[in-house]
Amino acid sequence: MDVQRYISSGIIESYVVGLVSEQEAREVESAIAEYPEIREAVEACRQDMERYVELYAVSPPKDIRSRILDAIENESSPEGEELLPEELREPGEAAADRPARPAFKLTPLRVWQIVALLAVAGMLISILFNNRYAGQLEAQQVEYASLQANQAALKEEYQAAMAKLDDVTGELNVLKDPDIKWTRLYGTGKHAGQLATVGWNPESKEVYLRALSLPEPGPGQQYQLWALYRGKPVDAGVFEMGKQQHALQKMKPVTAVQVFIITLEKKGGSATPALDQLFVAGRP
Amino acid sequence: MPKNLTHIFIVESDFTYTEAELVQGLKARNQRVFSYLYDHYSPALYGVALKILNDENAAGDTLQEVFLKIWRNIDRYNEEKGRLFTWMLNIARNTAIDMLRSKSHRLEQKIQDVGDDVHLYTGHLTVYQSTDHLGLSKVLEKLNKEQRIIIDLAYYKGCTQEEIATILNIPLGTVKTRTRLAMIRLRNLLKAL
Repeated sequence: MDVQRYISSGIIESYVVGLVSEQEAREVESAIAEYPEIREAVEACRQDMERYVELYAVSPPKDIRSRILDAIENESSPEGEELLPEELREPGEAAADRPARPAFKLTPLRVWQIVALLAVAGMLISILFNNRYAGQLEAQQVEYASLQANQAALKEEYQAAMAKLDDVTGELNVLKDPDIKWTRLYGTGKHAGQLATVGWNPESKEVYLRALSLPEPGPGQQYQLWALYRGKPVDAGVFEMGKQQHALQKMKPVTAVQVFIITLEKKGGSATPALDQLFVAGRP
Repeated sequence: MPKNLTHIFIVESDFTYTEAELVQGLKARNQRVFSYLYDHYSPALYGVALKILNDENAAGDTLQEVFLKIWRNIDRYNEEKGRLFTWMLNIARNTAIDMLRSKSHRLEQKIQDVGDDVHLYTGHLTVYQSTDHLGLSKVLEKLNKEQRIIIDLAYYKGCTQEEIATILNIPLGTVKTRTRLAMIRLRNLLKAL
């Protein structure tokens, strides 16, 4: 048996949480007896389950303790016996009164009984083999389930990769577009060394931005791009940082521009730029 | 607190039996060992019964039956097959689930019960005073719905794989692998406690 595959099939966890059929449980138990790694995995899983169960621990009502202790103290008396649930009571006199076995004698009837007994034994052996084949079938089902789960995971990964590819292709098309004019925005004053790039298509008015080296803004703050034209700032939108920092972000369209600037504003952007919070600027 | 009282307290809480000593003591019909067992394990076993039955009276009766079974059947305990706590929990779970089945075995009821528990860490716990609400709510918050349903319906309601597949609307063949994922998640959450 492939022990690692068995362990990762989920049969052990299902056994511990009580999800398996009686037959599967017997199979797990024989696997535990045979393979120390399986025994270890089952024990580790049991301990997890037991820790989870212990989180639900609740102190029982006080009177139950004395009820139980009374019951075991008096268990050998008839009154104590009454306190026990029916299935736990002593079997009583009936068992002791069973008649003694008669002496053994080989009569014709006895011979037929033995033949019948052998036939039953043969049938039991046959049932045993059937069970073994059923066990193999079960193992194949386990394997199939784990393959199925693998396949689902691969499909998810594939879809994520395709989505990523779509994004990258979109970005590449923008970068390759000859009509888009790229401008580097450099840091000024205490922000010297910072860099962002802005792409502008004078025909379609589209604007794209890459934040590059801008520092992460504080909570409640967001960078905003402005297009200055004849001394007047026009809002070109706010943009995301974090994971989006190096991505190409589409901004609001701009019809005319002399200088692009980026300022730090409150989250959601402002109507006019806070020029004391000017980070980078660049002339297309 | 006076000095001697502190001392007594420490001595008492330090006193523990190993599992082997517990088993030996129970087999020797030692009632002191039995009370120790009750004092240390009844909250966990009562918690199981309460979670399964959702009824304090029934859980109390179950707890009584469970401890009498432990006392009576200790000779059937086989340490080869697992720890004493595992054996006792199995008795508690089986006894409570048998009682649950005798009351009602409708699938909707089981789902309803587990659904009620969604609010467990707001209402229920303050009523029952679980011994570790903080840890419990931390774990419950972080398990997703599917993971909680798999673990709780299987362990606490005795649901079959078919029932779980129906409730979660997933292929029957994936129940085992999803159970594994749920338990792995649980293991990581417990480690973080």
